[in-house]
Amino acid sequence: MKEAWEQIYGLLVEDGQIAVGTLAAFVAAGAVAALGSRLHNDLLRNSAGFVLLILLIALLLVNVYTAGRKAYGELSAPWRR
Amino acid sequence: MSTALATLAVAALPAFVAAVVEWVEAFTIVLAVGNTRGWRSPLWGVFAGLLSLGVIVVLFGTPLIVYQDQVTQTFHLLIGILLLLFGMRWLRKSILRFAGIIAEHDEDHIYQREVADLRDQTRDATHPRWDNVGFWLSYKAVLVEGLEVAFIVLALGATGGSALQAAIAGAVAAFVVVVAAGAMLHKPLSFVPENFMKFVVGCMLTTFGVFWSAEGMLVEWPGGDAMLPLLLLAVVLTSLVGVRVLQAMSPRHASESPAR
Repeated sequence: MKEAWEQIYGLLVEDGQIAVGTLAAFVAAGAVAALGSRLHNDLLRNSAGFVLLILLIALLLVNVYTAGRKAYGELSAPWRR
Repeated sequence: MSTALATLAVAALPAFVAAVVEWVEAFTIVLAVGNTRGWRSPLWGVFAGLLSLGVIVVLFGTPLIVYQDQVTQTFHLLIGILLLLFGMRWLRKSILRFAGIIAEHDEDHIYQREVADLRDQTRDATHPRWDNVGFWLSYKAVLVEGLEVAFIVLALGATGGSALQAAIAGAVAAFVVVVAAGAMLHKPLSFVPENFMKFVVGCMLTTFGVFWSAEGMLVEWPGGDAMLPLLLLAVVLTSLVGVRVLQAMSPRHASESPAR
């Protein structure tokens, strides 16, 4: 059972940052949509889709950039030098 | 006609491409097991694995069809987040592989490794006609790789209408194609461009994930379904930018650049 659960968990969560970031983007976009609905502001509510897209795009780029820096050993950020 | 085409594009095609990638990976393991330990037990393992997957799809797929109308919004949210988690994961992996940061999936190498491992394990002499190791290895390969297919089929199938049937048909067609190709060639299907296919599926799943999640949040997309190709374009372009940035960062690229 433990192995089966680990397999299912691994299917969805391979990289923690991507998984948590995706959920956070989802929640943030949901909050925008909820706010739009509450304020009866269709424009705000309908912008939630684009908010989700932009957050996910940013997340993906930041994630692969970080992975690239780690892989190429360039993680010596300016404040560490 | 247009509805049928839309179902094909939204459910059957991504399910087919995703399933080809996963079945090819499972096939490599089963082939290694069969070629080193005999075919009887591994084939039963494949059959049992497929049966388990069928039960999972029926168990979770039936409520999708029966209760879909009652809980449309919840379904869209649930399916959206599932597609996003899968899509982003596949997309990230493909980008890193394209950029050379993680190794490409090499079926020939995996096959050789499995064969070497299996040759080291002795068979149980008391049961000459049955091989537990062969059965369980094949069962696990089909179940693990197929579980991903099952999740994708269910997620794509939950988009409504005949999508579930289309997604199942796509996954089954992929299975038939992979088994037929494997039976003819009798070697790992390393010529299948797995990374490119994973990239395509990752882009599609992420696009559908964004679309369905937003629909679940009661967002009305400008142009409705016509927004899908534009979302797909945005995801593809972002991914290509990601690959380009990583390639520019690589030390090899830096050493090849002319000195200024």
